[in-house]
Amino acid sequence: MNKTLISCQGISKVYLKGKQEIIPLNELDLEIIQGEFLALMGPSGSGKTTLLNILAGIDSPSKGKLYFNDQDISQLKRRQLTSFRAKNMAYIFQLYHLIPVLTAYENVELPLLTHRMSSKERHKRVCKALELAKIADRADHYPKQLSGGQEQRVAIARALVTDPPLIVADEPTGDLDQESAQAILTLLKSLCTDLNKTVVMVTHDPKAAAYADRTLFLEKGVLITGDYNVVH
Amino acid sequence: MWFINLSLLSFKQIRRHWLRSLLTIAGAACGMFLFMTVETFQDGLKNATEMQAGDDTLVVYRDKRFCPFTSRLPEDYSNKIAQINGVKSVVPVQVIVNNCGTSLDTITFRGFPEGEFHNYFAGKEIDSTLFDSWKLASDSAILGKEFAQRRGLKAGDRFDAAGITVRVSGIMESDDPQDQNTAFVHLDFLQKSSKRGLGEVTQFNVKVNDHTLLDQVAKEIDNTFRYDREPTHTRPEKAFIANTAKDMIELISFTRWLGLAAVLAVSFLITNTVIIAVRGRVIENAVMQAMGFQMEHLTWMTLAEGLFMGIIGGFTGIASAYLFLSTGNFAISAEGLSIVFNIQLETVLKASILAMIISFVAGIYPAFHSIQGNLVNRLRSH
Repeated sequence: MNKTLISCQGISKVYLKGKQEIIPLNELDLEIIQGEFLALMGPSGSGKTTLLNILAGIDSPSKGKLYFNDQDISQLKRRQLTSFRAKNMAYIFQLYHLIPVLTAYENVELPLLTHRMSSKERHKRVCKALELAKIADRADHYPKQLSGGQEQRVAIARALVTDPPLIVADEPTGDLDQESAQAILTLLKSLCTDLNKTVVMVTHDPKAAAYADRTLFLEKGVLITGDYNVVH
Repeated sequence: MWFINLSLLSFKQIRRHWLRSLLTIAGAACGMFLFMTVETFQDGLKNATEMQAGDDTLVVYRDKRFCPFTSRLPEDYSNKIAQINGVKSVVPVQVIVNNCGTSLDTITFRGFPEGEFHNYFAGKEIDSTLFDSWKLASDSAILGKEFAQRRGLKAGDRFDAAGITVRVSGIMESDDPQDQNTAFVHLDFLQKSSKRGLGEVTQFNVKVNDHTLLDQVAKEIDNTFRYDREPTHTRPEKAFIANTAKDMIELISFTRWLGLAAVLAVSFLITNTVIIAVRGRVIENAVMQAMGFQMEHLTWMTLAEGLFMGIIGGFTGIASAYLFLSTGNFAISAEGLSIVFNIQLETVLKASILAMIISFVAGIYPAFHSIQGNLVNRLRSH
């Protein structure tokens, strides 16, 4: 039985838009276990991306506690949170956000550039990540020479290269054709089953969510159901 | 280690918009070229007009005259000057120029008596063997190195200027800017050739026993000839140059502002380019921050971009200016006095350090700009 990787206890996010108080997340409780593939669904403005950003340490909750491997990260300062992200998480974006002047290899290498590591070790890790993402044959290609699906594979390799326990993905297949989307989802699923990574994915697509072990629905910042398995 | 890794990444970012980067580098090169040229002008001016400790030469000129054409002093004044207390030597000098105004290619003839060679060049490191061949013919001329290079003259050549024809007997190297742009000839030859007549000279170069006596001796010389037909005005050599070529010196001093403007232009140009680049990479920077890049990493990457462009452009400008000024043998003359623009190693060093500083400073605001704002908002900004 895998242990709990993330535990959210009554987390809320509040911000002001002019004089209006916006509450994208309201008193949310959630547990995510190691190796789980979790999908977050809900209408626009339901708080999915806010929750994803908080889980990824990109945003901080206004209230509540967020434990990552039993460490409370909700109170971490900006610098500590950046260090936390460098070690524990990776983000996959809908539009890949690869650096256009870097080859696929160099894009995957990017997160390691600030780590203390020999170039030999770095090379080993990059090659391994490219292999895992099944894009090693395009290592020397620039993003503009790759298809959308291939770019997303490079982005996944970039996410894997630091070997983080958590990977968050914001609509990773939103910009891909059906065939490429299926391949990417299969790859994400395999990260959980084969490498015991935890993947939290925001999606609007029920077919994409069907690949997840568990799907949560958010509406107005609240989980409608605690656990809801779309597929099963 | 990250320092090197991210510097390489910055270099790749420069190549990304190669035309924009190239134009910025070219702009920085032009700016530093101008700065180097102006600094060399200033150095030349300083060299020609600032008194050094131990300067012991006075120039006796006709009072209220500036152009060599108008200063006509009896040659026999030298006997009276020699008798003044504190005077070590007196050399009567005839100066003829082809152009009394300000020019980049003035030809200056200086004639002095054959026997006064050691007194004229006292305190300077001059190859005395040059004068062995000079003495052999009355129309011999020893040319300053800059002058010879500018005109492409060598020993044995003949040339004609200001109605005087001479034969080059040798080329002389000297640290004194006034020597570098001059043709040294026999006094009597010059007096005859210029049709000014024997017994008349332009000035006297007077060496004193001790540099502390300069003012005292100058006053005494002027007092001696105050009521003569040709009263004199005596000043230390550098002060004489500073006073005589005042207009030219003011003009050159003004160029200092051009140098400053060039430096500011380089700085603004680099800042502008880097800030445009950074604004175009808001998401990229946010993505890198999301993957764990700290503020110092992003700051360094932006600073490095400015540094690369500034240093490449700056050093290109410095190297071009070095080649241009060292091969061009430039000198500007007025009233027969020269200011030589010889590039100094010190100036190269100063410009190199300045190029690095302005490149660094130019990147500070864009670097600050690159880490501003909420990460979540920046990630959403596409």
